[in-house]
Amino acid sequence: MRTRRYALVTLLLAMACMGGESSPARRTLIDSRDTYDPRSLDPALSTDVPTGRAVGYVFDGLVRFTPDAQVVPGLARAWDVSTDGRTYTFHLRSGVKFHDGRPFRARNVLSSFQRVLDPATKGGRGWPLYPIAGAKDYADGKGRTITGLSAPNDTTVVITLAEPFAIFPKLLAMPVAAIVPDSVPSNFGEHPIGTGPWKFVEWKHDDYLLFAKNPDYFDSAPEADSLKARIIPEPSTAVAEFESGNVDVLYVPEGETRNWEQTDEKKAMLESAPALRMMYVAINTTRGPLADARVRQALNHATDAAGILEGIMSGRGNLSAGVIPPALPGGDSARAGYRRDIAKAKQLLAAAGHSNGIDVELWSSQTPPFPRIAQTIQANLLEAGVRVKLVQRDASSMREAARAGQTDLALKDWFADYPDAENFLYPLLHSANKGVGGNVSFYSNPRFDELVATSRREQDEAKRVTMYAQADQVAFADAPMIYLFFYKELYAIQPWIKAFKVPTIFTGQRWTDVQIQR
Amino acid sequence: MFAFVIRRLALSIPTLFGVMVVVFLLLYVAPGDPVQDMVGERADAETIARLRKELHLDEPIYKQFAAYTAGVLKGDLGNSYITQRPIVQDIKERFPKTLLLAGSAMLLASIVGITIGVLSARNPGGWFDRLGLGLAYLGISFPVYWVGLILILIFAVNLKWLPPSGYGGVKYLILPAFALGSRSIAFLARVTRSSMLEVLGGDFVRTARAKGLRERVVVGRHALRNALIPIITVLGLDFGYYLTGSILTETIFSWPGIGRYVVNAIARRDLPAINGSVLFLSVVFVMVNLITDLAYAKADPRVAYS
Repeated sequence: MRTRRYALVTLLLAMACMGGESSPARRTLIDSRDTYDPRSLDPALSTDVPTGRAVGYVFDGLVRFTPDAQVVPGLARAWDVSTDGRTYTFHLRSGVKFHDGRPFRARNVLSSFQRVLDPATKGGRGWPLYPIAGAKDYADGKGRTITGLSAPNDTTVVITLAEPFAIFPKLLAMPVAAIVPDSVPSNFGEHPIGTGPWKFVEWKHDDYLLFAKNPDYFDSAPEADSLKARIIPEPSTAVAEFESGNVDVLYVPEGETRNWEQTDEKKAMLESAPALRMMYVAINTTRGPLADARVRQALNHATDAAGILEGIMSGRGNLSAGVIPPALPGGDSARAGYRRDIAKAKQLLAAAGHSNGIDVELWSSQTPPFPRIAQTIQANLLEAGVRVKLVQRDASSMREAARAGQTDLALKDWFADYPDAENFLYPLLHSANKGVGGNVSFYSNPRFDELVATSRREQDEAKRVTMYAQADQVAFADAPMIYLFFYKELYAIQPWIKAFKVPTIFTGQRWTDVQIQR
Repeated sequence: MFAFVIRRLALSIPTLFGVMVVVFLLLYVAPGDPVQDMVGERADAETIARLRKELHLDEPIYKQFAAYTAGVLKGDLGNSYITQRPIVQDIKERFPKTLLLAGSAMLLASIVGITIGVLSARNPGGWFDRLGLGLAYLGISFPVYWVGLILILIFAVNLKWLPPSGYGGVKYLILPAFALGSRSIAFLARVTRSSMLEVLGGDFVRTARAKGLRERVVVGRHALRNALIPIITVLGLDFGYYLTGSILTETIFSWPGIGRYVVNAIARRDLPAINGSVLFLSVVFVMVNLITDLAYAKADPRVAYS
């Protein structure tokens, strides 16, 4: 009797001690990063992160991103650019098959792009393909064909752009430019068929997505048998699932950073990568006193960005002095930011004729960590005599107000869709993109516009990068935003997982090399 | 009885129509633009204008409402703006899961809550009564997300007896059902106790005891049955609320139910999804209330319906 009781205690202890050390028996990789159900698995509807990731598993584009955000060949094995930078000739792989066995041919590229741009698709995600000649007119229902697209034979696609756009291949690596088969059924978003490394198996809405290895994948087939993307809305639950060994990869919640960094066994599982993501306060440069650059500079000097990064984000990121992340060419990490200097802020305000301070509204969404950051900025600015009224709205209402130009200050973050400085400079600050295009600062500076427009056409990368840096400097001096920080991705990866690299761009990790070690 | 049910169902039609009107109007005046949520970042004004036209969002509200009502009468709740899937299909997938969770939580709560209530009432002021009351206070005071996370930490992360979250067999159901039901356990225990105390003082209970019936029979058969009306009221109300989406519980336990669906739809201004699911949930609420009323008659023959 006594020995039996002893055995029970030992068993219980053993159960309690079973940590995450032993590798699980499963042969399925399990991801925990999706916090909401993907919109669809149809590339034409890929406007959100979970959708984009899943599309990247099932489909291929002509090109794709590596985890460190390089563009490498996908369905195109190589491409040439004409000297005027307008014509791209893509040489396609032959022998590639869709998951249903149909062969991949050049005309699939044409029909895929056409489908994304077709008004009947109602995707609203055509912009990455707009550089193609005739694409915008086709999307607006003004043209019957896309003049810039042709397929002279089964393995060649020729794309002519309306004007030279040197980084165009990067846009083709976005999920929306993935290649789908002919005659797509109406439930394609639920039953996708691509050429990618993973075949779609099932989708339990708000629960998980399951994919199986495509053994015939043209590149290298996945190491693992299957991949499950679980949808876990609550970050603390994702942590619990990771600690129980049920998921392989965890996005460490901002609030838990210190806890993970200070525990040795947890720290051993951490991996980080610079993120192409920026937190900033868009200053509407057309509203009242904010039209004066000195006032905007004063806001920058009054804000304690370092304190916010350290106190609220647990130091997870880099202070920004410009909009180009340090991980991208053109990012100038030597540029000195607006250091916190209350006296200077007051002086600038006085010079602009506001020695009694100003009143502004700061809009933010209700999602953490936005409210805390907004409150900190409010307190910071008050020290310089700037009286901030906080306006908290849900993300949707706030976005609408900011785009309509109704916000003085708007606390925002920005994710890159493709790894290039242009993805920050052009949408956020070019005057062509005021409002819905992304420039909610309503910033307009002809010199900046000219530099960005020229850089978009420039074929020589070194020259282009120089122009990026110059443009960033021009805008920085005008201070159309309060520069806060660039994020750093922090993941925890189970010790039994091999070869998982934290992606710099969200579609950069397709799990093909990743293994469960046993 | 049959006539009563028919009359109640007929009366619920104006209620449901009212819900449709109010929700439609609220969404119309609320800030946020469904089309901007559809297209994501970096959209262009032409695309937004075109989509608005295609979705008939540029039409006057009475026309939009008329078109929507016509669809509803045909049993068509429309397609989601965001996912393009039929709303009916989305609800069909998620509601059974919410029903399972709510049903389990209520079952657990009734068994545990009523038992605690009855046992407490048998000896008011005794140690069990005090313990029960104390637990009830705790159950009512702790917010469900806190209870949920603590349950996950203890039973999933540390003891590894149950999975932390997800949807599957019975083992996935236990923690969320307990977290969701904990408030009801406390509530039911308190209501049962006070109702039982009142009944146990009644003449018929003294008669039953005088007849020499065993205490178990006196309490279980005679007293409890008479104490049921307030208990049914609490059960009906809580069940109605649980069925309309236990958003926090579903979020914490990654449970793919209707509550998360509604919240996501609201966050993305997915108008057909919001209208459709709120209408559906109103029907559910009306039905639960009707069943509660019918249960009164079952519990107490003196309650008559006409």
